[in-house]
Amino acid sequence: MNKGFKWILWGILIVVLIVYPRLFGIYYTNILVEFGIFALYAISVNLLLGYTGLLTFGHAIFFGVGGYSTALALTHIQGLPLLASLLIGFLSAVLFALILCPMVVRLSGTAFAMLHLAFGLLMYVVTLKLRGITGGEDGIGGFPIPPFSIPGIVSIDMTDPLMFYYFAMIVLVICISFLWFFTKTPFGQIMVGIRDNADRIDYVGFKVSHSKALIYIFAGGFAGVAGSIFALFQNLVSADEFSVLNSFAPIMIIMVGGIASFFGPIFGAGIFALIAELTSRYTERVELVMGLILILVIMYAPMGFLGLVNMARARFFNKEGAS
Amino acid sequence: MDATTAMYVAQGIHGLAYGMVLFLLASGLTLIFGMMGILNMAHASFFMLSAYFCYQFQIWTGNFWLALLFAPVITGFFGILVERFLLRKVQRLGHIGQLILTAGLGLIILEGVKVIWGTESKPVLVPTYLQGLVNLAGMEYPVYRLFIIGISLILLIILSLILYKTRLGMVVRAAVSDADMVNALGINVPVVFMTVFGVGTWMAGVAGVVISPILTVFPGLADQVGMDAFIVVCVGGFGSIGGALLVSIICGLLNSYGVQFFSQLAPILIFIFMVVVLTIRPMGLFGERE
Repeated sequence: MNKGFKWILWGILIVVLIVYPRLFGIYYTNILVEFGIFALYAISVNLLLGYTGLLTFGHAIFFGVGGYSTALALTHIQGLPLLASLLIGFLSAVLFALILCPMVVRLSGTAFAMLHLAFGLLMYVVTLKLRGITGGEDGIGGFPIPPFSIPGIVSIDMTDPLMFYYFAMIVLVICISFLWFFTKTPFGQIMVGIRDNADRIDYVGFKVSHSKALIYIFAGGFAGVAGSIFALFQNLVSADEFSVLNSFAPIMIIMVGGIASFFGPIFGAGIFALIAELTSRYTERVELVMGLILILVIMYAPMGFLGLVNMARARFFNKEGAS
Repeated sequence: MDATTAMYVAQGIHGLAYGMVLFLLASGLTLIFGMMGILNMAHASFFMLSAYFCYQFQIWTGNFWLALLFAPVITGFFGILVERFLLRKVQRLGHIGQLILTAGLGLIILEGVKVIWGTESKPVLVPTYLQGLVNLAGMEYPVYRLFIIGISLILLIILSLILYKTRLGMVVRAAVSDADMVNALGINVPVVFMTVFGVGTWMAGVAGVVISPILTVFPGLADQVGMDAFIVVCVGGFGSIGGALLVSIICGLLNSYGVQFFSQLAPILIFIFMVVVLTIRPMGLFGERE
């Protein structure tokens, strides 16, 4: 694929994203927003899982912290600009990652996963218990959504779903491209090195635990952005965001999409959104279908959707399956 | 004996009973993990499934004992099928594959019981002679809790006899520490795996049946008790039966005394305990592997 063709593809994608709401109406636009949020969330988890080889069962901590801090900030601070509320979501998730990372960077494997499960559960229970701050089971809802404004130039009402769609998509695309370039830096290669052979990275002279901490903070911060946008999108945050299921969701998305690639989670999120939408028309048991799909994927297509695509390409075009 | 002491003892019995149920659940989990490296996310779902089987058996036969006998056996058989036809196929994918598979299975079981039995909680009745209180040495004890403690102790003794005194137990323990070597010695490790998985789910099944009269049977059962079982396994150390026993009892007691002394904080206590232990010893109290 040459360079020009790639740019044309990007152009087509952007045009599709712009005209999409006009073509499909607001219902499908909202589905696309949710898809984008979960794509960013899953990509941030994939930085840990796919690139660095760290399995986590508690990434919902950062998603939830991002959401709650945005919601809390908007509830308590009058006239807070939109971007500042997003930034607060991002920064508080980063802060949380900073607090946790001294404890977790020395670990890997099951201990890393289980410690996160414990932190996640802790956050879940604390959120339910601290009713005065977090609203307990009810969560925080109905906070004001500020307009997107550049003083003196423009002010766009974000309660309009169409405008919010454009705003969310721009933020998500910026974040995802940032992470894409992040994985292409030399530091991104260190991540893969840590996954494949941490000792060797250590001998080469890179500090493994420092690098892990940095990746962890990035992964946490962008999950925070995803959570923050999700809070703005729903105009509601609830303790469910800290739930184990919400920690599992990105892992499932990554597995279904394909773990071995940056774009795998995006496809995974798309497939999940599609399945959820299609099955919810016929049955209320969306989770049942999800469970079945997970089992089928893991048994017959363990490299996920992109793995299947590569296999098909290798078979029909007699090429080596590119990663 | 005054009222305060009586209360302490009663809470202790409650905690101990819950701890023993946790142990039944966690010992299977820790054995399966220690041996096969499988973190069985569906373990608690099997536990819940067995509770539902128990409820169904009681509706059909009206007999608690039959339910106690058959529900875990069916659950264990189900577990064997899962190991043979699903888990074995994804073994080459390593931990994440098995994890996703069992998580998917857990989802299916959770939704399956909702489809079959609905979402409301179902009562399970115990025979009248297991209800009420019994008077021992001037103290009143709830009979059913004592029954739970007794049955778990019996299973614990049988399990440790098999594990530490028989040839099969020796093979299992050897496979926990090095499955490849045991395989190379000419022992059919896959069959041993299957047996352990079956026994593990069977024990989860027993736990599900004995706890169902206390907590009733509802779809949230797996989450509620399963989380505690996971914590027990992590804190006790993966693959360590002794660790599972100790931490189960600690968790049970933390739970029951926690509710009494700091009712607001009670659900958090166990997590704090876990975070503290895992931060200091990532492999758990008695775990040898990372």
